[in-house]
Amino acid sequence: MMAYASLRRIAAFVAALAIGLTATLPAQSARDAALRERAAYADWLMTGATSPYAVLVQRPVGPGLTLGPAGAQIPLPGLSAVTVTERRGVPYLSVGGLDRPIGRFRPVPVEDYRLMVSGRAGRAMLTVYGPEARRAKPPVYHDYDPAFDLPVVLRPPARPATKRLLAADGLEVEAVDAGTVEARLEGSVTTLQVFRIPDPAGEESELEIYFRDLTNDLPPGEGTYPAGRFVSLIPLGGARYRLDLNRARNPFCAYNTAFACPLPWRGNSLPVAVTAGERYAGGGLDPAR
Amino acid sequence: MTGALVLLGQLSAIAGGADLGGAWRGVVDLAGGPLRFAMQFEGMPGAWSGRLCNGPACDAFSAVTGSGDSLTFEMADYDAAITAVVRGDSLLGYYRNVGNRGPRVIPFRADRGTWPVAPAGPRLEGSWDATFDHGTRTSPRVFRIRNGPTGIEAAFLANSGGYGLFWGSATPSDSFDIGHFDGAFVYRLTGRLEGDTLRGIFHAGLRTQTPWTAVRSTGRPHLTPPLEVTRFDTTEAFRFAFPDLEGRVVTEADPRFRGKVVMVNIFGSWCPTCHDEAPTLAALYRDYRDRGLEIIGLAYEVTGDTAIDNRQVRRFRDKFGIGWTLLLAGLNDTEATQATLPQLQGFTAYPTTIFLGRDGRIRLVRAGFLGPSAGPLHQLEVAEYRATIEALLAEP
Repeated sequence: MMAYASLRRIAAFVAALAIGLTATLPAQSARDAALRERAAYADWLMTGATSPYAVLVQRPVGPGLTLGPAGAQIPLPGLSAVTVTERRGVPYLSVGGLDRPIGRFRPVPVEDYRLMVSGRAGRAMLTVYGPEARRAKPPVYHDYDPAFDLPVVLRPPARPATKRLLAADGLEVEAVDAGTVEARLEGSVTTLQVFRIPDPAGEESELEIYFRDLTNDLPPGEGTYPAGRFVSLIPLGGARYRLDLNRARNPFCAYNTAFACPLPWRGNSLPVAVTAGERYAGGGLDPAR
Repeated sequence: MTGALVLLGQLSAIAGGADLGGAWRGVVDLAGGPLRFAMQFEGMPGAWSGRLCNGPACDAFSAVTGSGDSLTFEMADYDAAITAVVRGDSLLGYYRNVGNRGPRVIPFRADRGTWPVAPAGPRLEGSWDATFDHGTRTSPRVFRIRNGPTGIEAAFLANSGGYGLFWGSATPSDSFDIGHFDGAFVYRLTGRLEGDTLRGIFHAGLRTQTPWTAVRSTGRPHLTPPLEVTRFDTTEAFRFAFPDLEGRVVTEADPRFRGKVVMVNIFGSWCPTCHDEAPTLAALYRDYRDRGLEIIGLAYEVTGDTAIDNRQVRRFRDKFGIGWTLLLAGLNDTEATQATLPQLQGFTAYPTTIFLGRDGRIRLVRAGFLGPSAGPLHQLEVAEYRATIEALLAEP
């Protein structure tokens, strides 16, 4: 890892460069950006073809899965007999005698459904997206509260390490231990573990914190999702970050019980009520569906 | 959510009559700072056309739509768009595309004018061997920094090929801030010279930041040479069977390939480097077709939905006036690609080009492509393509 002092010098000159070049342009505030991100996310949840609300089932492919008419391992009304297998690390889809390899992390339309295989080689996971119009509750949020936007310093781990854990979408990833930050709230100081979660389909990654606080155990409608919430660190340069708890969001299991719920990360419990970010009003999907 | 809607409403109310024509300085605001690009619009309200430029390299927006002062600049090649409202002489909005874990939304703003030209000093110019530090592992890159008509520019090379032209500004104290934004790639590279070492941060997307260091290229290969990335089977003819854009399955036995030297180009309409490569392939096809060269483009697309993939590949074909055979081969996942082409091992890069001799067997496989942004390396690459084709055409 690069020395902290060196990172700080780089951050300082980058900041100077940026200010000089864009002084004439109006910047959007952090609050506006957060609210816009929130609106786009809510829109995707309610209308996106691969939103968590559209998922019917998520299951390990294992030695193979049959989908379709009654008697299949995953019965799906109106679907022809379909088999999903993983051979030598490559997922295959068989429909009507045609056997073809399909990519990971790419939803494949099959008749009225979409199938997506994710997970690493040998541990493939199948996600089935349904065709029906959704009757889901839109996500609900606390009002934006700048008191929950905290400056933090990321302290790197003693030695580089990776750990397999479940990301917010319930899928296992190889995360990189990114160290810890200290969150200072209402007089308390809590050390929170940070992992770098890769985007398995691209080059990007996020520094994520999965945390709990005093709102998790409140009744649905009053509090937040019981298992905990995820929040991404926003880099400010060098080791400095913003921990904006207004951006705290639910794991996908909050929207749909088809998803596996990540186990809370040990020690990541804030001894205060974080009345910021996404709330939880009970199951996301309308039970009448 | 309500807050955001109110905000958008207020901005729309403030905006006056929108005259978009002329030059704009745009940025997308990544967490680590703004990634700069330029835009140029012409036309009239309701009928604008525009293009997005990274320094001297420009691409047209596929459409400029909108009503009143709310505008959308579409980048259909990559299923992405910039949505903005006009506020006086500024544009304010966001860039958006969608990944598996949800939308990627990055704040966007622009004002009228052109970016100042800020060239690199002589100590920055030249080729640099970079090492990216991913925490538990490292990976190699090569930067070739030079000055063009719009100031500092650089080719950014990885084992998977070039990432397009990076452009931006440098300072007299040998720091620089360059980037590449095209709707799919959202990349910014900042760094500065400290002694003999360049140090900096690579910014990918909204929040990913990777520290790197670089030293002057020694002449020894820093990246895996493009001919050594992919291994292949030479014991029998290269086989394939994929549908063309009309749905007819085409195989290696088709008479149009018999006795020809064939370049099999593995590409995707979503891949910016493939857009860089297409004009070179078009020139080669024009120059060598009469002497016995055929090209087959195997498209590996994003959605797996035949109708959508077909539309994107047709768009690619029409954009570059492609006259060679294009086949819908599958999805843009290296494992899936590998599985559809069992005679290749170690496939990692889009594009990858397979050269077949007149007997239909693989002679060599070239990973990646160095586009015009690579300057002399691009010229060298094209010369090597020509030399390979000449040699294969000369075989009995």
